Amino acid sequence: MKFDLHIHSCLSPCANLEMSPSEIVAKAKSAGLDAIALTDHQSARNTPAVAECARRAGIECLYGLEVCTAEEVHTLALFDTPEQALEMTDFVYAAMPKRVNDPDVFGDQPVVTWDDDIVEMEWRILAMACRHPIPAVSAKCRELGGLYVAAHIDRSAFSVYSQLGGIPDGASFDAVEFSRTADESLWLEKACGLAVVRSSDAHNLDDVGLVWTEAELDGFTVAALKKAFEARSTRISPRLTKF
Amino acid sequence: MTAREIAEKTGGKIEVDVEGASAENVYVGDLLSDVMGHAGDLCVLVTIQNHLNTLAVCTLVGCEVVVLCHNRPVPPDMAEGAKREGVAIITTPMSQYEVALALSSLPPSPRK
Repeated sequence: MKFDLHIHSCLSPCANLEMSPSEIVAKAKSAGLDAIALTDHQSARNTPAVAECARRAGIECLYGLEVCTAEEVHTLALFDTPEQALEMTDFVYAAMPKRVNDPDVFGDQPVVTWDDDIVEMEWRILAMACRHPIPAVSAKCRELGGLYVAAHIDRSAFSVYSQLGGIPDGASFDAVEFSRTADESLWLEKACGLAVVRSSDAHNLDDVGLVWTEAELDGFTVAALKKAFEARSTRISPRLTKF
Repeated sequence: MTAREIAEKTGGKIEVDVEGASAENVYVGDLLSDVMGHAGDLCVLVTIQNHLNTLAVCTLVGCEVVVLCHNRPVPPDMAEGAKREGVAIITTPMSQYEVALALSSLPPSPRK
């Protein structure tokens, strides 16, 4: 099964507004992906829409969010259902600054339906960190039955390496993620023995399908991925040398 | 203090020049959430965070000059964003503390 665990929709302020759930699912399918996860910054409010799109298109999906922790580390919390992901969102929202997003500064944040209608504009600044540190986010993710992944560990900002110099004890990551351009020969040893995935971190439709992860899975579920992670049986696509 | 004067005092290079960009106080910080909460209007932001989100925070707090320490490079998207938002960017080989000392004639950002 070929999958991408890190895709943003139009809800992320930095993502292109063309990233509607229906377009994402269509592009993932045409790019040959069997499964995707939707992971907007700090919010899973577009996961119900992507769930419906995925059901109609016959593609597997997980539901999550990219949590920016108090350490300003990006981490992926992934779940089997939008309901779990929305509960995680409530946990993150409770620790977000109470400042209203200025779309001219950060970008628009539309919550949409499966058929691309705008329900409302999210008012919180999803580009900002929450006050929960990694251990608290990890514990909540686990309590809700999710997977916890350290995002783009090779990036020079917003990664465990850029912010903390390494993978912290007690973070309980199920896997680490390489960016599209991460060189395995440099970064595999920095994964500290954890399972590795490569994701697109797509913010534009053209990004979907550029890179992926493969594994033999009994269905695209948290349990199946956890099993593959524990067996270290994921394989990643080649890195992109031009970005 | 103008961006040019700040560059001179910090042994830095102006990577993005913005006419009229200046500062009246200093804030040093690498956690953007902290910067957003504490940096003052018309501060010079001294940081290592060389990416686009830094500029968004500058726009929110009213900062017109960023000093990037340890000669951190300015990525092209950050340079473009800075021109668009009117934020001058200076790179310096100095550390954050060295920059703070070099700019000690300016006061700290007022406490909020």
